[in-house]
Amino acid sequence: MPTLKVNGRRVIVDSDATLLDAARAAGVEVPTLCQFDGLEPWGGCRLCVVDMSQANWDDDWFKVVTACNHPVDEGMTVITDSDRIIETRRVVLDLLLARCPDTPLIQQWALEYGIEQTSYTPNPDPDDCILCGLCTRVCDHIGVSAISSINRGWGREIAPPFNQPPPDCIGCLACAEICPTDCIPFETSTVRRKIWGKEFEMLRDPKTGEAVITKEQAEHFAERSGVPMTYFETSDRSKRREMAKTFEKLQVVK
Amino acid sequence: MHMIYKVSVERCIACGKCELACAFAHGSEGRPAKTRINIHRRGPELGTPIVCFQCDDAACVAVCPTEALARNVETGAIEMVRSRCISCRMCVAACPFGNMLWDETYHCVQKCDLCGGDPRCVPFCPTGAIAWVPVEEAAIPPEPLDRESLTFETGTGV
Amino acid sequence: MRIESCDQFEALRKQSLEIEANRKQQVLVCCGTGCLASGSKEVAEAFADEIAKRSIDATVDLFVKSTGCHGFCERGPLVVLNPQGILYTKVKPGRVEEIVEKTLVGGEVIPGLLYKDPVSGERVEQYGEVPFYRHQVRVAMRNIGRIDPTDILDAIAQGAYSGVAKALFEMSPHEVIGEVATSGQRGRGGAGFNTARKWQSCKDAPGERCYVLCNGDEGDPGAFKDRSIMEGDPHSVLEGMIIGAYAVQANEGWIYVRDEYPLAVVNLTIAIREARKYGLLGENIMGSGFDFDIKISRGGGAFVCGESSALMRSLEGKTGEPRAKYVHSTDKGLFDLPTVLNNVETWAGIGAIIERGGAWFASMGTERSKGTKAFSLVGKVKNTGLIELPMGTTLRHIIYDIGGGILKDRPFKAVQTGGPSGGCVPEELLDLPVDYEELTEAGSMMGSGGMIVMDDRTCMVDVSRFFLAFLEEESCGKCTPCREGLKQMLHVYGRIIAGKGQAGDLELIEKLAAGMQLGSLCELGKSAPNPVLSTLRYFRSEYEAHISDHACPAGVCRELTAFEIVEDGCDGCHLCYKACPVDAITGVVKELHVIDHEACISCGACLDVCPTDTIRTFPKHELEKAEVV
Repeated sequence: MPTLKVNGRRVIVDSDATLLDAARAAGVEVPTLCQFDGLEPWGGCRLCVVDMSQANWDDDWFKVVTACNHPVDEGMTVITDSDRIIETRRVVLDLLLARCPDTPLIQQWALEYGIEQTSYTPNPDPDDCILCGLCTRVCDHIGVSAISSINRGWGREIAPPFNQPPPDCIGCLACAEICPTDCIPFETSTVRRKIWGKEFEMLRDPKTGEAVITKEQAEHFAERSGVPMTYFETSDRSKRREMAKTFEKLQVVK
Repeated sequence: MHMIYKVSVERCIACGKCELACAFAHGSEGRPAKTRINIHRRGPELGTPIVCFQCDDAACVAVCPTEALARNVETGAIEMVRSRCISCRMCVAACPFGNMLWDETYHCVQKCDLCGGDPRCVPFCPTGAIAWVPVEEAAIPPEPLDRESLTFETGTGV
Repeated sequence: MRIESCDQFEALRKQSLEIEANRKQQVLVCCGTGCLASGSKEVAEAFADEIAKRSIDATVDLFVKSTGCHGFCERGPLVVLNPQGILYTKVKPGRVEEIVEKTLVGGEVIPGLLYKDPVSGERVEQYGEVPFYRHQVRVAMRNIGRIDPTDILDAIAQGAYSGVAKALFEMSPHEVIGEVATSGQRGRGGAGFNTARKWQSCKDAPGERCYVLCNGDEGDPGAFKDRSIMEGDPHSVLEGMIIGAYAVQANEGWIYVRDEYPLAVVNLTIAIREARKYGLLGENIMGSGFDFDIKISRGGGAFVCGESSALMRSLEGKTGEPRAKYVHSTDKGLFDLPTVLNNVETWAGIGAIIERGGAWFASMGTERSKGTKAFSLVGKVKNTGLIELPMGTTLRHIIYDIGGGILKDRPFKAVQTGGPSGGCVPEELLDLPVDYEELTEAGSMMGSGGMIVMDDRTCMVDVSRFFLAFLEEESCGKCTPCREGLKQMLHVYGRIIAGKGQAGDLELIEKLAAGMQLGSLCELGKSAPNPVLSTLRYFRSEYEAHISDHACPAGVCRELTAFEIVEDGCDGCHLCYKACPVDAITGVVKELHVIDHEACISCGACLDVCPTDTIRTFPKHELEKAEVV
């Protein structure tokens, strides 16, 4: 259980913790955009940069690293608000504001760092995608990998293969739900769902017509978890009614 | 002392106070949809409380892709780790008993987490149909409820 | 025939040496990619024709060998005659008959085909006397130009795989690492990390197996040393990898080679096949009991895949994107197992280090940068080509003594070292010894060894823009500072070069550069600002002229530059008229020529061809003032 200092505060964390975990344990806020607790850290947005010095380094020798994926080490010193860290975050947000000038999340973060308007050339045809990769990463994590990033460099985009409705997509909406700027559109009802140009039939309760997941979702997760398909077919309301009926039968005293 | 949530169906009078208490405990406006305990009403003063069983081998835990459902070893409850939830609703579909609930207004999944070891619904139940008891008392059969002498002024809640 | 023991290897080596020694006359024709492009294949064929015509015994009396790159690309096609040691340059197929008749039969040298010293005007006969070669110490490139890369026996005769025999039979893996440590060799791909330390880390790391990889992705524009090694002596790479694999006890290795090097892919494939045939790769190498085999993986055309973690992802079949290297590749690399990745030139040097000893290697070079280094010397220098020199050689020596000085004797302006991650070194620092730390302190970088020489007709703002444009296309796009920063940096440069630079642009560039250096995920983004910062450091006034005066002092940036033929100097030679691609020059032979400013596109072709240097450049905005008058 290594001990380290974050902005002067001592914390003890698990040996497999990251600097971000350590900062949170110390009550220090480090901004993030591409980090999500349920997923492996990616280190792409570069907003969570911090200054770090190892125990055996000179006292004034620091290295700029991303907190989300840098492992902790005994005796480390971490500074989350040095001048060059603030300035680096400012550059990151200023650049993101140039790419996504109309996106409220970025506008808010930029404002917190003193930027009202980007210093750079704004994107002439902006959308809300900040290329944080959360959508593709959660899709990979679920084991579907229906979408990925395409193109290199500034033209990078998130898309299904060949920009066609993705054959592997199960319509779970995880990508849309996790997107920090809500820029993945979808339609959903108890009857059908549509996302990435692909249409899905919902798994409807035969009695009540309620639905929360698609047929493809049920198949995918039944296979992976070992939970039988039959569990997925009825709505939660119908299930509770069934449970109640079962309990009535078990009643000792009427 | 290890505690357990005990439901005695025979004693339930379907008053719905537990539902309101739960709703209030999880959102200041007390919106009924926020309750994690549901009373199945089957007749006048006859109800069956349905609430999460905190299953040993839970389907919701098995199906969650991001480990957003985890056992709290102290309380025994399976808790939601909000920061890991991706709202895929697989747990809602997977729970065999219908105890995982989807709140469309708040756009999130919710379940009973035993309020961290002090279930807020229990003090409100006028008949003790739901109780938070030491695990040794779980197997003791409930006292039959004297339904004849029920009045509407009883209730020990705060 | 599989070699099953050290003695068998030695016997084969002696046998191959004898065959070589028995040849009465050898003609080495350079068939590296550069000379091939100049028609050296046809030259080799012409020699073959002569042999057939004269019914000469082609194995003993006249043996024609197609070798790898000799390095003096400026003067190709190159032909070396042994045992005479004569170097003929710029040989055309039509001269081959003369060479055979006059030199090989008659014993006479043909002066017109000899190298002519640009300063003294003298013709140099001997290969070893030509300054370009005289100053070189070839270690990694020791056999390139001497062997036929597709003939493993030729390579063995010249010493290939002798290092393997020594390592496998006379040394323990620990001793091998020790020898490399003594040599002080540092990675030749650009980062300069100590080779022995890397191998030791991999050896110490836990894991059920480990891998050795060769980075043959050579993406820097202007760098071709790895290409020449892979094409001209693939065996040096295989040998190094076998020794390295033995040191860390790896049984599998890959050479990741960029697909844009087809000849390298072919020659590496042949070399591996031959090595396997002779039992030098595969199971039980040379009967030593050590198993190791190598596969080739071809790149898909991405500079970023030369980055070690991106290369490993690409090898695994995933998108080539780097990852944070807080967990080193020597702990978790390819397939999450301990991996050693080294550059082509690094591997190529290992065989020599083991054979001749680490102390020998360490006796060359400077205190912190041991041994020799390959450089691709290109640009506005008279003798362009590939050279290998001891570390510590000064830039002045390289550019003037070996390079022969600046083309057309124009004034030297700067030399760009280290490719797009490097920086420019100005005239006042020409006595800098080539050394990892010295170059870094000067604001540049050793990099892979590219050296682009620039004269006064080079605009430093334009040079930075060139490298930024290259990197912007190659950025993988994963991290914000690099992906967005390069694009925005180019916007600012575009403004400046078009004469629309604004006050505060330089500060904006510097702020962005700092953000990219600190914030980027990998070295592509982190070192992208290097050309920008080094040109700002040494040539800031040029930037200021572009912004404040709307002028390009070097006369390069088209929107800012106009051309004029000075009346006094023009002798009516008519060359500019012919060179102009848009017919903007009017004039009659022997009379003053004139440039039409309306039609002129400011390409500078006229200035490049003018023999009397009479064409001058001036800021375009002065034209407007003149018209008003």
